Amino acid sequence: MNLPNPYRNDSNEGAAAMNTADFSKIGSLSATEATLRLIATLPAPEGLAERVQLRLDAEPRTARVLSWPAALRPGAHGSGTGWLRGNAMRTAAAAAIVFAVAGGGWGIYSRVQPASSARIIAMPPRGNAPGAFSNAGAIRTPQTANGPVLAKPIIASPVIVKPNAKNLAKPTTPLAK
Amino acid sequence: MSASQAVLTGWMGTAKSAVQDDARSKAEDQAKEEALAALVSQYAATLYRVAFSVLRNASDAEDAVQEAFVRVLRHRDTLGEIRDHRVWLIRIVWNVVLDRKRRMKTRPETDDVSDLARVLPAEGLSAEERAAAAQHHAHVLGCVEQLPEKERQVLMLSAFEELNTVEIAAVLGVTESSVRSRLFRARNLMGGLLNHSRHSAK
Repeated sequence: MNLPNPYRNDSNEGAAAMNTADFSKIGSLSATEATLRLIATLPAPEGLAERVQLRLDAEPRTARVLSWPAALRPGAHGSGTGWLRGNAMRTAAAAAIVFAVAGGGWGIYSRVQPASSARIIAMPPRGNAPGAFSNAGAIRTPQTANGPVLAKPIIASPVIVKPNAKNLAKPTTPLAK
Repeated sequence: MSASQAVLTGWMGTAKSAVQDDARSKAEDQAKEEALAALVSQYAATLYRVAFSVLRNASDAEDAVQEAFVRVLRHRDTLGEIRDHRVWLIRIVWNVVLDRKRRMKTRPETDDVSDLARVLPAEGLSAEERAAAAQHHAHVLGCVEQLPEKERQVLMLSAFEELNTVEIAAVLGVTESSVRSRLFRARNLMGGLLNHSRHSAK
């Protein structure tokens, strides 16, 4: 006997004959299907729709904090033709938002002056990291700046001392007398 | 016509259009309410069955249906944009029941037996036969519970004759081919589970 297997994708007629395990599997599967279908076809309780409708009637309708005016409500003038539905109006609204944001940003930027940058460059402290080589007391000496350069360098002229005539005329030694 | 008359005429025209808009919006609200009521009367039973197949408790299933329709009520402005209301509603109630099931504790099989004995049709069955049938179905459902989540979901939804593979895929948000492969795996696993339980019972 070659029963078709409804739970296989291939419906091959030349397949090997099914063994007992296959039959029991089919029986199990049909039991599963029967149970699930039974539950899937259970009748709904009486008055379910009415109870659901009552619950819906009790729910608040105005979920929004602020409701749009009727003329401005999206989709108010027929389906899909509200004022926000038009592409032109959407583009205009988007452009207005962009301009407002950009204008506000420019206003703030133009009023606030950027702070002048500090002239002192903070250097990180020179410390020996733990485990690193020590500097052995060597201190880096920065190159000093060149001093002011004079346009006309002063050349030191030698001082000529003239001999005094009086002193020369009067010999102080007694031999001279 | 003087300027004051022109202003008055314009103001009257504006007021008249505002009244017309208000009446139109009321009519639209009324139409939405009617559409929602039609959905309730048409699909409440289907949603109940879907909810019951997962929750397996009548009052829980009814609560889930009500919660699903409350969610629909919040999106009633977009009802016109939905293509297939049936699949959309089943997807909503499916998410509601899965959410509830995650929060619930694991149901013991005895609860299933008692609940199923209460709801299963009892035509031509004695009390004993009915109890045995309920026990059998509860056991099968217990095996279904042991399946991996993805396979279990597909198997349960496939039992609904209203849903084909494409619609199951739409409810679960997966592709049609993955629905088919999951269904194939689920059936194989289910056969193994039931065989194993049958042999262990012997």
